[in-house]
Amino acid sequence: MRRDMKLMLAVWVAVTAASLAVSYFVLRTLSFPTPGAAEDGIIDDAFMALTYMATPVFGLVIAVLFVAMLRFRGSGGPEDGAPIRGGGTIPKVWFAVTTVLAVVLIVYPGLTGLIAIRQHAKPDLEITATGSMWQWTVDYPASGVKIAGAKELVLPVNQHIQVNVASKDILHSFWIPAFRQRMDAVPGQTSSIYITPDRIGDPSDAAYRLQCSQLCGVGHAYMAMPVRVVSQDEFKAWLVSQQKTAEAR
Amino acid sequence: MSHSILRAPIVRGLFWAVVGFVLAAALVGGIRTAMGLDFWNTTVDWVIAYPVALLGWLMGVGVWPQWGREWLGGKAEPYALTGWQRYFGFSPDHKVIGIQYAVTFIVLFLLAGLAAMLIRIELAQPGLQLFTSDQYNAAMSFHGITMVAVAVATLLGGFGNYLVPLMIGARDMAFPRLNALSYWLVPPVAILLVIAVGMGGWDSGWTAYPPLSEVNKEGQVLFNLAVITFGVVSILGGINFLVTVTYMRAPGLTWFRLPIFVWGAISASLISFFFTQAFAAALLMVLLDRALGTSFFRASGGGSALLYEHIFWFYSHPAVYVMVLPGFGAALEILSHMSKKPLFAYRWAAGAMLGIVALSGIVWAHHMFTSGMDPALHAPFLVLTELISIPTGLIFLSALGTIWQGKLWLQTPMLFALAFVFNFLLGGVTGIYLADVPTDLHLHDTYFVVAHFHYTIVGGEIFALFAALYYWFPKFTGRMYSERLGKIHFWMMFLGFQLTFIPMFRVGIQGMNRRVADYPAAYGEYNLFISFAAFLLGASFLFFTWNMLASWFRGPAAAANPWRASTLEWQVSSPPPEHNFDEIPVITGDPYGYGGAGPAHNRPLGGLAAGSEGGS
Ligand SMILES: [Cu+2]
Ligand SMILES: [Cu+2]
Repeated sequence: MRRDMKLMLAVWVAVTAASLAVSYFVLRTLSFPTPGAAEDGIIDDAFMALTYMATPVFGLVIAVLFVAMLRFRGSGGPEDGAPIRGGGTIPKVWFAVTTVLAVVLIVYPGLTGLIAIRQHAKPDLEITATGSMWQWTVDYPASGVKIAGAKELVLPVNQHIQVNVASKDILHSFWIPAFRQRMDAVPGQTSSIYITPDRIGDPSDAAYRLQCSQLCGVGHAYMAMPVRVVSQDEFKAWLVSQQKTAEAR
Repeated sequence: MSHSILRAPIVRGLFWAVVGFVLAAALVGGIRTAMGLDFWNTTVDWVIAYPVALLGWLMGVGVWPQWGREWLGGKAEPYALTGWQRYFGFSPDHKVIGIQYAVTFIVLFLLAGLAAMLIRIELAQPGLQLFTSDQYNAAMSFHGITMVAVAVATLLGGFGNYLVPLMIGARDMAFPRLNALSYWLVPPVAILLVIAVGMGGWDSGWTAYPPLSEVNKEGQVLFNLAVITFGVVSILGGINFLVTVTYMRAPGLTWFRLPIFVWGAISASLISFFFTQAFAAALLMVLLDRALGTSFFRASGGGSALLYEHIFWFYSHPAVYVMVLPGFGAALEILSHMSKKPLFAYRWAAGAMLGIVALSGIVWAHHMFTSGMDPALHAPFLVLTELISIPTGLIFLSALGTIWQGKLWLQTPMLFALAFVFNFLLGGVTGIYLADVPTDLHLHDTYFVVAHFHYTIVGGEIFALFAALYYWFPKFTGRMYSERLGKIHFWMMFLGFQLTFIPMFRVGIQGMNRRVADYPAAYGEYNLFISFAAFLLGASFLFFTWNMLASWFRGPAAAANPWRASTLEWQVSSPPPEHNFDEIPVITGDPYGYGGAGPAHNRPLGGLAAGSEGGS
């Protein structure tokens, strides 16, 4: 009994340590798509915080399963296991510990993350992305540029951007993996997210694509386009060129 | 011979269904023609003719002769079929109905699994190979709703019906004919979904979000009718379980002496009973928008698409627990009996199930953090959702405490029950990322979600279902399954499952969104690997099917109690006699009398659990 408990504790510690190490060295560096916005940190940090917190829970369950399967074997013979009913303090302690864990999760990264992601400065730029089956219309109201059936989304680096998301017909969703956040396009309403691209993006990277991520029928998978994050000068030049094409029409 | 086939209940049911459909459609067509409209309109005709056909089907299959006549003062016929024919008619016997549910839904499970295999062939490489986008959406939608129905109904409808009366020492369910009626609503659900696929399918998944579900192909109409019908099955079944367990427990069987599986069944029934109508109502509103031009969900007419999401998830989050609670019950039951140890912290586990029922109704909007709903709702739904980890944690305590210092008998059912603990751990933990608003902003609608819910529903509930299937197979059929084939099935399914869904977490985080036939080439390698793993998972069911068929027909006869288990269903023959108990047993202790003084289990009736007083 003592030995089994010791073995279990050892496996618990070992599995927890191993999964912490894997989370820190492998998951953290390999899993996320290219980070492209200042807000990514909030989301990626929350993800890692949850992962670290999960490791002891994971370790405990694995340890009990492992030791039980190794040491507490029977073969259907007449012998019974110990008549332990678990009515004493163990469930109370367990209940208290899991409640504390849940409260911790709720506060951090839960509510703290929520507050962080909600805090945003006055936007430097406002754009409106309107979904329709199966394309995006991108509107830069301050410059009078409006591109229906856009082939790419062009954004300036280091500007705090308010993205208004709307829909002409059915539900769609605005999502760029590099920027982590998404917002559904709902007919009859406009919803906003705030992103601050903080590096020049490579539009051939799958993380830099605007992908509709709310099932919208036949064209859903292809309701996507590359996202090009460019320097602010380049962005201004691009806006001018777009204004000219619009005038030429 | 041909005469008797024509009188078979299913043939009669089909006949009256077709008659009802044709008559109603002709009437609708006549009225439409008189109004100067086209004779046929798929939406309107199905919405009106299907209920008539359904009534014809039910009456023909047995409701009229065995029940309906009484409504008009006549005398109902007794159920006459015997032997294997019992399974093909309107039998009021809960054991027959349990097997009807179980077999029907296992067949649907294999069919929807086949759809999953086709999906994985398509997704093995970027680009389109097997399907068009539209066909892919149809396959994905069919896979989704069929598996949801399987997950909702196999354990509860199949095993619940068979086992709950036996476990509580009753001779049948409280309302046997209502029970038969519930089951016979199932074939129309399956037939509608198959016809819908034949018509080219529908492309809105199992969630059927409007406005898409109001403007897409007519397969959607059949989907809505099917799911509304299935909702009726769920509600009627729920009522029946609640009344049965409340009123029909054997003398001495107090609430805290109920086997934990019964707790799982009634917790799930509470949810079916209270929440299902929301989903059915939402789908009905979609049909009204489509057929009559109402505008519940159309913004242009003053409606709201978000309204649908709220109503839909108000049912569909609790529905997860309709699937999983009987799974908890079955797994805990098997862990105790196959460890030869009392269920650990039994009252806490039962209380946790009720706690989950209570919380399940107030967390739905965690599916809507990215929907554009009022941001003021984010924080409360984050908090409430994370609280579910507390009762779920108690289920884990019960499972782990039960196997600790037990005598684990690692037969196929036990392996599945242990795998359930492992899988549900991963499913539960990854759920936290989706209940957390910041991480959900990125992970929502990606393959991370696909992996998460497959871990909870397949890894959790479906593994528990297979544990139950092997564990109770000897009781249901009177024959023993092949342990060797069972273990092959287990290991292939377990490994195939892990290898399929673990990589999905990563490819989802990386940026692959779900419900797409095609994806950026960057995700190609992962998807190829996932597809091969999925084929391994799929192949495991060949061994399962072979085992079930061969063992049912030719397996060695099973003893009354092959597992030396202590609950009531094992104290009667395998399969049990027609009315379960010659004499209603008197219960004097809890169902898990392992390790007590004297022969604690395998007792004759009457002396059940003597000497092991219940509770803590
Ligand atoms: Cu879209
Ligand atoms: Cu949910």
